[in-house]
Amino acid sequence: MTGFMAGLLSLLFCLLSGLSWALPAWANGVDQAVVQDATQLWQGSAHALNDINCSSCHQASETQAFVLSPKEESCQSCHQQAVETFHLGKHGIRLREGQSPLTPALGRLPMQAEAQGLQMTCNTCHDAHSVNTVQAAVDSCLGCHSDTHSLNYGNSSHSELFAAASSSPRPGPEAVSCATCHLPRHQVGQGDSATTLVNHNNTYTLLPRDRMVAEVCMNCHGVEFSYNSIFDDDLVEANFDHPPTQKLQTLEMMRALEQRRTGQGS
Amino acid sequence: MVPNSSRWFSWKNLISFRVAMVVFCLVLVAWFGAAFALNQRQIFLPGETSVGHHLFETSCSSCHQAFQPVNNDACMSCHQAELAEDAHGPSKFRDPRWAAELANLDVMTCTTCHSEHVHMFGRGVHLQPDLCMNCHQGLIEGDLASHNGFAPDGCWTGGCHNYHDQRSISTGFLRRNMGEPPMLPVQQLPERTVVLQRAVAPAPDLTQEFLEGRQ
Repeated sequence: MTGFMAGLLSLLFCLLSGLSWALPAWANGVDQAVVQDATQLWQGSAHALNDINCSSCHQASETQAFVLSPKEESCQSCHQQAVETFHLGKHGIRLREGQSPLTPALGRLPMQAEAQGLQMTCNTCHDAHSVNTVQAAVDSCLGCHSDTHSLNYGNSSHSELFAAASSSPRPGPEAVSCATCHLPRHQVGQGDSATTLVNHNNTYTLLPRDRMVAEVCMNCHGVEFSYNSIFDDDLVEANFDHPPTQKLQTLEMMRALEQRRTGQGS
Repeated sequence: MVPNSSRWFSWKNLISFRVAMVVFCLVLVAWFGAAFALNQRQIFLPGETSVGHHLFETSCSSCHQAFQPVNNDACMSCHQAELAEDAHGPSKFRDPRWAAELANLDVMTCTTCHSEHVHMFGRGVHLQPDLCMNCHQGLIEGDLASHNGFAPDGCWTGGCHNYHDQRSISTGFLRRNMGEPPMLPVQQLPERTVVLQRAVAPAPDLTQEFLEGRQ
């Protein structure tokens, strides 16, 4: 009986393969509804409003051949800094070294079971049609990461700020997302040519921890509050759901030093 | 003493040490050959790869050139940003004033402290956490009153000092910023620079191609 079913299936497969000319056009391409949805998303995006049209990504620049699924080289032709920094962090290092893209299954941190096989490329976090980085800043991360720190993000006042300031296609300057700390915005270039871009090296601010303090925390918090928070493992695990309670000895020593100096000066 | 040709093979020979060695080598070569052919390079790893590098541990050539030791250039090809301002960098140790310290520990070579495939004590450092004592032991033995009697392995494990990048942990940095309130008066992150050249989107220039899926 199983043999009969297998035979029937293979016969059906042969028929379908042989008769592909008789199938509707979308069998080789994509559904019209998909094209319409993508076009609609694109029309309001920063890509469309900067003349980045379908052919900019879906057509090879030299051969003019149609490309259904553009790869990161396509993104890199404009977003060079983003791809270069992405390649330096754990998310992109495998691509830099000529290996298959990272999947959550290869990681050592706890990851969502259903995401284990997901391949990490630009499109995994970014929707290139909507160019909506609100989604890339939190939801994309939580699609894979399921460690305690990640799962506790929703308990923090950072996430409340994010929810309040994420109606635009980009998180506003008050929104604190996963990307705020792990893919921080940084200034590239000097003077008139200075632009604020996103450092996609997700490993850069992890260690030493004080690097994140200077790059990120001190946009909003004083240095003592930041140090007492980021060097408290339990508070990091809880994703900063309450103000710090520890008082680092190094800060106490600094205060004592400062008092001695002013004492000597006066 | 020509051996009898009819007795060149015997089971006794087969278990002799020499034959066993030849068979062992052949199996080893076949095993390594198969690993190469099937791209299963994990078997060449001499130990557990560190947290920072394990994701590309099978890309041997990322760090190794043939059988030479890993050189600084391999490290710098990725870690340039982290070492942009290195307090213990080459510019310091090229100065002959620090020759005696350099003789204590060859800190001009990354792998002196950052070996790979061995046990790490944190931050990718395989030396014992008291490595600072190679040069700074005096600081905990009376040279600096505030640090007298401190644990020799606490300099960086306690989160007080960094070896390379001291920009956001130096005494000067803390002095400049101490005393600020928990929440700064203005709490704002930098905004991503986005310039829009048009008010309305142009007409999409490919549509039929998607439906037909031409490659």
